[in-house]
Amino acid sequence: MEGMSAMSMEEAQELLAGRDLIAIGARGDDERRRRHGTRTTFVRVFEVHVDAVPRTFPATAEAGEIRVIGRPHSVDAAVAAVTRALTLAAGASVTAFSLADLVDLAAGRLPELFASLRAGGLELVAEAPIDMLQDAAGVIRMAHDAGLMVPRVTVHAGSTDPAELIGRIRDLQAAVGGIRAFAPLPRTSSIAHPSTGYDDVRLVATARLLADNIESIQVDWARYGPKLAQVALTMGADDVDSVSALQGDLGRRRSPLEEIKGNIKAAGLEPVERDGHYKVRA
Amino acid sequence: MSIDRIAAKVRDDERVNGAEALELYHHAPLPLLGTLADVVRVRKHPDGVVTYIIDRNVNYTNICVARCNFCAFYRPVGSGEGYVLGFEEVFKKIDETIALGGVQLLLQGGHNPDLPLEWYEDLFRAVKQRYPEFRLHALSPPEVIHLTRLSRLSVPEVIERLIAAGLDSIPGGGAEILVDRVRKLLNCYGKATADEWLDVMRHAHRAGLRTTATMMYGHVETIEDRLEHLLRLRDVQDESGGFTAFITWSYQPEHTELGGAEATGIEYLRMLALARIVLDNFPSLQASWVTQGGKVGQLSLAFGANDMGSVMIEENVVRAAGANYCMDEVEIVRNIENAGFIAKRRNMHYEILGDPFFRQQSVPRQLELAVARADGDTSRAPEIDRYAARSAAEKRLRASGGRRTTEQHG
Repeated sequence: MEGMSAMSMEEAQELLAGRDLIAIGARGDDERRRRHGTRTTFVRVFEVHVDAVPRTFPATAEAGEIRVIGRPHSVDAAVAAVTRALTLAAGASVTAFSLADLVDLAAGRLPELFASLRAGGLELVAEAPIDMLQDAAGVIRMAHDAGLMVPRVTVHAGSTDPAELIGRIRDLQAAVGGIRAFAPLPRTSSIAHPSTGYDDVRLVATARLLADNIESIQVDWARYGPKLAQVALTMGADDVDSVSALQGDLGRRRSPLEEIKGNIKAAGLEPVERDGHYKVRA
Repeated sequence: MSIDRIAAKVRDDERVNGAEALELYHHAPLPLLGTLADVVRVRKHPDGVVTYIIDRNVNYTNICVARCNFCAFYRPVGSGEGYVLGFEEVFKKIDETIALGGVQLLLQGGHNPDLPLEWYEDLFRAVKQRYPEFRLHALSPPEVIHLTRLSRLSVPEVIERLIAAGLDSIPGGGAEILVDRVRKLLNCYGKATADEWLDVMRHAHRAGLRTTATMMYGHVETIEDRLEHLLRLRDVQDESGGFTAFITWSYQPEHTELGGAEATGIEYLRMLALARIVLDNFPSLQASWVTQGGKVGQLSLAFGANDMGSVMIEENVVRAAGANYCMDEVEIVRNIENAGFIAKRRNMHYEILGDPFFRQQSVPRQLELAVARADGDTSRAPEIDRYAARSAAEKRLRASGGRRTTEQHG
């Protein structure tokens, strides 16, 4: 499967600058369907802050992933948060931290930090923001050496040359492996000049075509909203991150589970719930 | 007929019938629907121009007797949260709109029994006296019907009087779905039947006014109902040619009596594309970024839309139902150009007014929409007392010297 649709950087740059949105989206969708058919995975995420991990899991919540977020102020705080999150898990995967925050926290002693987190029970680093890591391959190798998996690469603020950025992620996967999903849409946005719908769709389709050695292209439900995320699923993305774990969240009458399933089906696709290990939930 | 054959008809500029349109909606893949809609858009707008208007959506009152079950904006007569804007408040909004390059008000409101036809005439005349060049795109068909009932005049007579007072064009609001079975379920049959809505538009077109047409979908209707709506509009347009544009949006369910869930973004794009294909005699289709958000609003330009609607300095109705999107002129133009189109300002007649206003003179960025009134502002419009009260609540209010009682808060 991998490499069958490899695209050159020049082609990727043309695609990102293209004006025929439907043709671009159709190319992304063709490749997504070749790999996944109509199967569309999603994960309900219960986020807990590193400094405020609750003692019990809310009775009204249901999650496939418990994600520890925030920058820990010490190694002990990081390990303690992981340990407490694991006691909440009840079958959900626990992921924790941005790799960039861990690099900052480690102050040069990354292997020791990774070893401590692994000893504390952590298996999955929550995300590797590619544009915040100077030596992404080196850092991920160290994580792997300590027994930690880094299955998700994200983009923090984006790049003026997104094709180069996607190419870097393809090269990263070729170098270190283990990247299960790539979320190409930046996680931060300008209030005055947010990215446009065209920008987002072009980026998703190009990521699907260029990052041909990564299984899933992911879109964030909470950050990009149900409508844009749903469109992205028809133009290259096949996995939805950050569906709320809280029933009755978002002030809506439908539960997040009903909403995500309904949106995926309305796009002509088949919803499949997964956990943080990317395994299908029963 | 096969999808390929129907697609060929669209490409050959042949009209599709209802059955063919249904076939497209149910079975055409999204990229094909978008491509066909784009074929129609390019045929009608080969210059690559996408237009927008700078105006302000002012809701002069939220007091309404219609009680549509999909509306989160209205307040019943006597409610402590009811308001009527004073003329000076409207003038202030116009001043603010002109400062941002605006050329018209989109003026719509509730069916308030204590605002007679004369109130509208006086407001329109006052606006035109102060701002002779400023346009009034005002009073959707159900509001015109409401005024015929209050004044006991015919639709042509009410329209004639409103034109004499300064009405420039009629917005296509209140259409919802132009199928009476659906209108009864939405509790909006009483405010205007499908025939009454279309009849107001026919009379407006005969009187020389241009109007828009709308459709709110995604509540209790079927796709067949939506299609009947489109075909009825197409028939009237064949007769009169008076519609300038069509705007569709999804029902916004938050805080409404009807409730339910909103139709998805993909459904919006499919519906928009289908409308562009079916409404082959409508010059323009607007993107409803107000309900779909800026991103899907921009994607609409690939699915048949050639107009980004209004910069919309103020909006109250869909905000009350949960949609709270905002784009100022800078953002609308950025979205148009980012999609590869040329951005031009227009008026309500879709005549090009020029290049973006903010490139001619500095205007402040506007990152959130204004509202009809600030929270807690319960001031009473001074003009109301010039007109006879009709509702029992208003009569009691006046008898008490303007002091609301608990009962009156309803």
